[in-house]
Amino acid sequence: MKPILKRISQEICEFEWEAAISDVLLQHQLSFKAKLQEDFSTEISELRMGFKTLAILLSKRVETSEIEAWLKAISSELSLKALPARIWQIPVCYSDETGRDLETLAKHKNIRPEELITIHSQTLYRLHFFGFLPGFMYLNGLPEALYASRKSIPDRSVPVGSIAIGGSQTGIYPSSSPGGWHLIGQTPLALFDPSQDNPVFASPGERIEFLPISKLEFDRLTRHPHKPKFR
Amino acid sequence: MIQATGYLKIVKTGPGTSIQDEGRTGFAQYGVPHSGALDSQSYRWVNHLLRNHIDAAVLEICQPGLKIKFDSATEICFAGAKTAVKLNGQVISSAGIQEIRANDHLEIGAFQEGSILYLGIKKGFQSEKIMNSRSWYMGVTSSDYAKKGDLIPYFTNHSPSCYTASKVKWDFVWAQERRIKVYPGPEWDLLNMENRELIESMEFTFSELKNRMAIQLAELLPNSLPEMETAPVFPGTVQLTSGGKLLVLMKDAQVTGGYPRILQLSEEAIAILAQKNPHQKFKFQF
Repeated sequence: MKPILKRISQEICEFEWEAAISDVLLQHQLSFKAKLQEDFSTEISELRMGFKTLAILLSKRVETSEIEAWLKAISSELSLKALPARIWQIPVCYSDETGRDLETLAKHKNIRPEELITIHSQTLYRLHFFGFLPGFMYLNGLPEALYASRKSIPDRSVPVGSIAIGGSQTGIYPSSSPGGWHLIGQTPLALFDPSQDNPVFASPGERIEFLPISKLEFDRLTRHPHKPKFR
Repeated sequence: MIQATGYLKIVKTGPGTSIQDEGRTGFAQYGVPHSGALDSQSYRWVNHLLRNHIDAAVLEICQPGLKIKFDSATEICFAGAKTAVKLNGQVISSAGIQEIRANDHLEIGAFQEGSILYLGIKKGFQSEKIMNSRSWYMGVTSSDYAKKGDLIPYFTNHSPSCYTASKVKWDFVWAQERRIKVYPGPEWDLLNMENRELIESMEFTFSELKNRMAIQLAELLPNSLPEMETAPVFPGTVQLTSGGKLLVLMKDAQVTGGYPRILQLSEEAIAILAQKNPHQKFKFQF
């Protein structure tokens, strides 16, 4: 799986893979990213990932021909690293009160809210990258039964910690923000801590699991929050 | 030497006053925007004249009506927009170094040319540093925009500089440039020939929709670009929405986006664009 190199400007290069979003593609992206960081450690100042893309910001001049040669050389020898095994458990209170679109979305899907909760919480989601908001995780793995087109008029304010569904994706709002996804629940845990050098808890390639909790437990954890835990 | 701290007090402010520096590099992997001064040219110029560190924090001013008070002596420097500035009621220049004494009042009035004024200070503003930058961004720093009553710290007891009678002239001509240098973006090749020729030849207009995240252009560009998977974007990326809107991403833009990225501006072009006002016109130069 060899990506296509696109030289955008003197500072920006992008690699694009022509493949469907999957664990295998992510494995290629992450292994490729590690090799890039190793071989161009002094030239790259920043990397940004997408579902099928990886962009680099260069702090020093690097000729396109040099990157092309590198790409050619590593494509045959790139050793794939296994995706990390860690699974993070995020407690979620699925309810009308903590997820104002739960009932409407279930009705729209012709299922009971309980069924929606079961489908959503019995799936493991793969973290591909962070974007949109500081600490927002792009997760892959939402069951097709829960796909829901985004709201035509976005909400002015989505509460912090909201668990939401938009299109073929599900995610957690790490901060309060406007948003067009359907809100089905809320986590009491803080998922982004700007005071830390690493402000997020999970790394790309790790998985996320949503654990249903009661409103009582939600209130208790809101008062006494702990850091996200993994199994 | 222990440095004494002075405070700049915000007495009154319009929207869009914030502390900015070079911004955050290396934190996009956590979804954190780059931030930093929109017009890096003027930003660097004030720090250069003040002999500050290259990433010293400055005040970015985007609206008239700002009134501030300094509680102790320092040296400040202006660059960027040509603006009506008064120090203790006396008109002063909005370009170059200005000595400040304790309890001095400063008033920023009408913008005559350009749209952002930078106020640098000796050794830089000393507001909180989060993820290697003092640039304000909601959810990262505790403030996003300055409010009445805010106190912003700076160091006061530095050795007085040796003034010379000569003033370095601040040349703002570069900001009048109407050709904006761009590179084709990752999805440029997906545009049809007609769209590409239009973008290369037509004159675009800045709309009123402008903030630290993006500037929207007034013209619509009907297109049939396919939807795409979320991909990286940078300050200076130009997105084309399915509805035909053109969005030029600025320093506080998200690190990823879902709209086709048809163009990419250089850092210098971002600075030129940042100084433009609504209704002004420009062309892309390839």
